[in-house]
Amino acid sequence: MRLQRVLRMFSLVIVMTSPLFGQAPREGIPSREKLMRDLDEVARAATIMVDGDLCQKIMTARASARMTVVDPKNRWAASDDFEVNHEAYIQTKKTLIRLSRLVSYPCDVNLWMPLEKSPGKIQILIRNANELSQFWSWGALYQDMIPAMREVLETGQRRAVAEKPGMVSVLAPVSNSLGDIVGLVEVVSRLPIDTHENVK
Amino acid sequence: MLTRCQRLSLRAGAFILMWVAALLSRASAAELRAFPEYLRPDPFGGVVAQDNMQEGSREGINNARGAVVLQGARGGYVSFHLVAKLPQAGPYALDLRLADRAGNIQIDIFREWFHFVDADGHYYPDALIPVALPYRSRLPEPDNRIATQSAQAFWVDVWIPSDAVPGIYRGRATLQAGNARAALPIELKVLPIVIPADDAVTIDHNSYGSSWLGDLYPKMRERLGERFYESDEFFALIHAYHRLFYEHRGAFHQLGYGHGGKVGPEFAPALEGTARRKHVASWSLFDRHYGPLFDGTAFARTRRGAQPIPFVYLPINPEWPASFLWWGEPGYEAEFVNIVSEMERHFREKGWTQTRFEMFFNQKKRYKAFPWDGDEVRFPEDNKYFLEYGRLLKKALPPDTPVKFVYRADASWTMNDQFKILAGVVNFWVCNSSILSWYREAPPMLRERGDIVWFYSEAPSVREVSSAITYNPFKAWRWGVDGYIHWLTVNPGEDPWFHFDGGSLALAYPGERFGIDGPIPSLRLKIQRNALQDIALLDSMKKNHSIASLKSEAARHYNGSKPEDWWNPRPAMADLPPPQWSDSIFDQADEAHTGAIKNLHPAAWQSVRKYILQLASEAQ
Repeated sequence: MRLQRVLRMFSLVIVMTSPLFGQAPREGIPSREKLMRDLDEVARAATIMVDGDLCQKIMTARASARMTVVDPKNRWAASDDFEVNHEAYIQTKKTLIRLSRLVSYPCDVNLWMPLEKSPGKIQILIRNANELSQFWSWGALYQDMIPAMREVLETGQRRAVAEKPGMVSVLAPVSNSLGDIVGLVEVVSRLPIDTHENVK
Repeated sequence: MLTRCQRLSLRAGAFILMWVAALLSRASAAELRAFPEYLRPDPFGGVVAQDNMQEGSREGINNARGAVVLQGARGGYVSFHLVAKLPQAGPYALDLRLADRAGNIQIDIFREWFHFVDADGHYYPDALIPVALPYRSRLPEPDNRIATQSAQAFWVDVWIPSDAVPGIYRGRATLQAGNARAALPIELKVLPIVIPADDAVTIDHNSYGSSWLGDLYPKMRERLGERFYESDEFFALIHAYHRLFYEHRGAFHQLGYGHGGKVGPEFAPALEGTARRKHVASWSLFDRHYGPLFDGTAFARTRRGAQPIPFVYLPINPEWPASFLWWGEPGYEAEFVNIVSEMERHFREKGWTQTRFEMFFNQKKRYKAFPWDGDEVRFPEDNKYFLEYGRLLKKALPPDTPVKFVYRADASWTMNDQFKILAGVVNFWVCNSSILSWYREAPPMLRERGDIVWFYSEAPSVREVSSAITYNPFKAWRWGVDGYIHWLTVNPGEDPWFHFDGGSLALAYPGERFGIDGPIPSLRLKIQRNALQDIALLDSMKKNHSIASLKSEAARHYNGSKPEDWWNPRPAMADLPPPQWSDSIFDQADEAHTGAIKNLHPAAWQSVRKYILQLASEAQ
């Protein structure tokens, strides 16, 4: 486990020294082919960089337990009681932000985690500053897993999805120290960017 | 020769015939009627069910001679519904004139749109379309598409400027339909008293982002294409919304960022660089958006005059101006302090020193972008972020800045703890109405230490009694807080015109359907405005009356309530951590409130107004 952390740190150094890193100027719109290649490369790095053990520590036990409970006496309990362990969340979010900066145009790297006790359900757990996602139903605490996500979780292979007009997502697995795939990232961009979408 | 008895019988017969003929002619004639503002007309000549009091208990606005009798203070509006009813479909013309040699008194007239509400299958008037006099159209009104419509209602606003000469003004409304003509005399009594220009409570109308403008004005958006969000027309549209609410004695807020921290380009200066080198690259869109609002020029041609907006959200959020990437590191502080300092300097140099600039965090962790709740803190550990941002803001601002930065928090579950933990840091509280009702001592305590206190709720739907819109503004004044906010006021739903959801999230409508590149008001907004001017007048009477007695008497006239009825006991469950509360805690807390609303009389506010005008007369 320690070795894995060291490897992650090493990868981080490699990535940081890459000429792609940093807030490069938002240049012209890349071609769709280049966009796909770029996002796939970010997704590949994400699989290495994102710490699955840490991701598993993000949800608090209480929030996880209440997530799917329907309580007629307390209709909003699942949303109201949604809480996270701050340190695990912050560390992971920072990694996702760094990954998104590997490209020079607006891109988000979102973390999706399946619900352990509810097979077939998944939640977006960390979103980012461009508020991009092809799959999140705005406001949903959790939702049905789409087939492409299931495939990534089962096979460990990256999958590109381009369903919404202008949007491209690459889904990539996130593993823990046991080698289990525990979640996935959605590396997503939209070209041209809609500057007003989801400002609400 | 006819006997006396036969003559009497004939006379009686003739009388009956004349009476029947009169009745028939009346039934077949065009009719012009006036209703007080709280009786909302329906499209068939009646009144909507929720406002339909028994005839005997209705207080009309006609005197014994049938004239419409109005009275009002200067510096305000007097309003009523004018209803044109036709015996059969066809064209008509409506006119209204008031004799005022000085030309000070002005009349605005609006056609009332009848919205069909699917939930109960009834029509309600709400959107008000400005029309010019004389107004010519036909019944059924073609665009409203009500096949059996026999009456068209108009909202009449009579604006009495503060320099109008007190006295009686006379006029007449006329209706011409074919050969039939109806007339309604109008008598307006202008009282010497002047309504204060400033309100006793701020009533705010909230919104989120500006993509809704693109949705509500599809023709304009199509016409302007990709330029829409940077066009002069777009900024004119935003300013028009501000003007609409301002003219109705309200404020307008647009939150400029999303729950993930994405900032709309017109809500923030454009930034460049990172860490120490992060700086403002351009104020262009920000200044086009806010310049006319902060210097007041956006309101130059309004009746209330040019004034800067009282409040505005800043774009500050956990991801702007500092990237969350650096949270907890020196880089976060560097980015935050550099940019906020630049903002302060820019505002100061521009002379934007009257508006309160709000640092406000709206994100909720349930929307999955940040680990803490900025809005409605439920978990006490989230307060540490508020304290840190308080430190950062303090560091970014010169201690003697004339620019009014305020730190706003919207509070619910844990408000009573937050009032203590964040004392001296947060100085603007927007509180959940139900929970604040447990803390009667909180508003005076907070105001005493210089904090601003508002509470939030949402507007009543059109399906509620007409006077429901006066409830929260009145409660704000009754409670002694600074303001009240309708949390969303520009979302009329998918199809407000023919399949209306009731409008609890809209107090303005897009005018594009009627060829207007801007918003049009709702009837509820008008009733609210008239109540606000009454409250301003009533509040000004504290010079001669104790505020406690004014509040007590006004509440008694409103719904027969006593001062203590407006507060609720703190439930025992509130001692537990919020995750252990159940919905019943709110149901109990709201019982008094919803009960008051449920039993609210349509004429509740009219009763308060009579009391206020009585006091005004005595004062004269």
